Amino acid sequence: MIEAKGLTKRYGDRLAVDGITFTAKQGEIVGLLGPNGAGKTTTMRMLTGFMPPTEGSAKIAGHDVVEDSLEARRRVGYLPERVPIYPDMTVRGYVTFWAKLRGVHHAKAAVDAVLARFNLLDRQNQLVRHLSKGLKQRLGLAQALVHNPPVIILDEPTIGIDPQQVIEVRESVRALGKDHTVLFSTHILSEAEQVCDRVLIINKGKIIAQGKPSDLRRQLQPGSTLHVVIRGAEKKKARELLASIPGVVHVESSGDGYQVNAKDDVRGEISSRISAAGYTLLEIRPITSSLEDVFLELVKEG
Amino acid sequence: MASWIIFRREVGQYFASPFAYLIAAAVLVLTGVLFTSDLYGSMTVKPAEPALVPLVMSFTMIFFAPLLTMRLFAEERREGTLELLMTAPVSESSIVFGKFMGAWFYFSLMIAITFSYQFILLSITQPDIGHAISGYIGLWLYGGATLAVGMLFSAMTENQIVAAFLSMIALFLLWMGDQAGDLFANIDVARVVRSLSLQGHFSTSFAAGIIRAEDIAFFAGIITVVLFMTIRVVESNRIR
Repeated sequence: MIEAKGLTKRYGDRLAVDGITFTAKQGEIVGLLGPNGAGKTTTMRMLTGFMPPTEGSAKIAGHDVVEDSLEARRRVGYLPERVPIYPDMTVRGYVTFWAKLRGVHHAKAAVDAVLARFNLLDRQNQLVRHLSKGLKQRLGLAQALVHNPPVIILDEPTIGIDPQQVIEVRESVRALGKDHTVLFSTHILSEAEQVCDRVLIINKGKIIAQGKPSDLRRQLQPGSTLHVVIRGAEKKKARELLASIPGVVHVESSGDGYQVNAKDDVRGEISSRISAAGYTLLEIRPITSSLEDVFLELVKEG
Repeated sequence: MASWIIFRREVGQYFASPFAYLIAAAVLVLTGVLFTSDLYGSMTVKPAEPALVPLVMSFTMIFFAPLLTMRLFAEERREGTLELLMTAPVSESSIVFGKFMGAWFYFSLMIAITFSYQFILLSITQPDIGHAISGYIGLWLYGGATLAVGMLFSAMTENQIVAAFLSMIALFLLWMGDQAGDLFANIDVARVVRSLSLQGHFSTSFAAGIIRAEDIAFFAGIITVVLFMTIRVVESNRIR
């Protein structure tokens, strides 16, 4: 659905996007993750056909964004970072305008459906200028979806709205992933982890890592780390006991217990050995590094 | 088709905007007062001027055209809707054309209201109808040209005040070309300068009751060239 090949954008001497290559399949939610100024917005602007790439090419549903721009643009729904509004139009008028401009045949039905989907029907006659920020965000999503495009591109859709609305927007994005290809940018890592099937981490215009959020985490931290709390054993003995378990790589005390690095799942073994030695196992829990750690690590390297 | 959708939205915007009503009110008050005094004078001094409204408006469009058009692109830029428009499956030319036609349509409605003065004249004297019609055709074309210039400057900035100010200066220069022509001793140079000015194709022809093909071609040419420039300016947003 989205195929980008070596997308590059140069602003004068500054390289904003440097040879980004990726594909997104139908029904996939791809997160574009990166710090501010990493080139997320520029990448999206090239994919939506707003600006031509300096080098490289991109296709939306098989249509080149430069060669066959109008056809490509017909197949994209786009929500820029700052929701673009016409303050003096009504909610219905606004969505209808975009529906017609994008060639929707039964505009009224399409507008009704999309307003219902985003709970805007009771506000349809209000002026856009009077909507709250969260409602404007929903209106922005409604606008991006009204022509039912196969590809939806959302630039930081959860910035500047309250937590309840953030959850709503994330749920909408998840729901979209069922039948649309969604490209979604954010600099909030937990969000990418929750919402996306696949994450592209970009920094300074380059993709520095990509994969499933869980894979990315594993990639940086192979094996598993457990936090184990034991009662009734001296520190030294407990450490020896833990270290003697096959598969355990490293043990160190941390806080009230021990941090155990292991190649495979050693939880059962830990529990039975501790009981056999006559101690009590109080706690055993996995420590997962969040995507945040992966991200910080990668950005630091880059 | 896309132009038509954009045209409809622009016309809707004019009718939703208090500012556009204010401009219409200003135009009607101004022309109304001048018409009344001209009518009063016509009872004693001289016959009523058939092309009064076109003559008054041709000067005041230097101010009204920028005010009517400053919003067209500047606001879209400020609100970010221009980016969305440019990612919709429509060409720049249909955006520009739709917006221009919207502004021209609103202007046409505004001057159509002043036809009422002609009906008042008709009911009390025998005005030169042909002269008035010629004046109005001229004003309509002249207005289109000034609106196109106003829109061009609106496309250059996201600040409406700056857009209005720059287009007022540009229109004033275009209007003054008429008088600038008088400064040249060489008659041929003077004629060229004069024929590039808005006044030169209006005050001595349309406003005097003469419809000439060259004047129609001049205004149509200005509109075409300026719209083309506007399209290029809008396109340049893509590479910034």
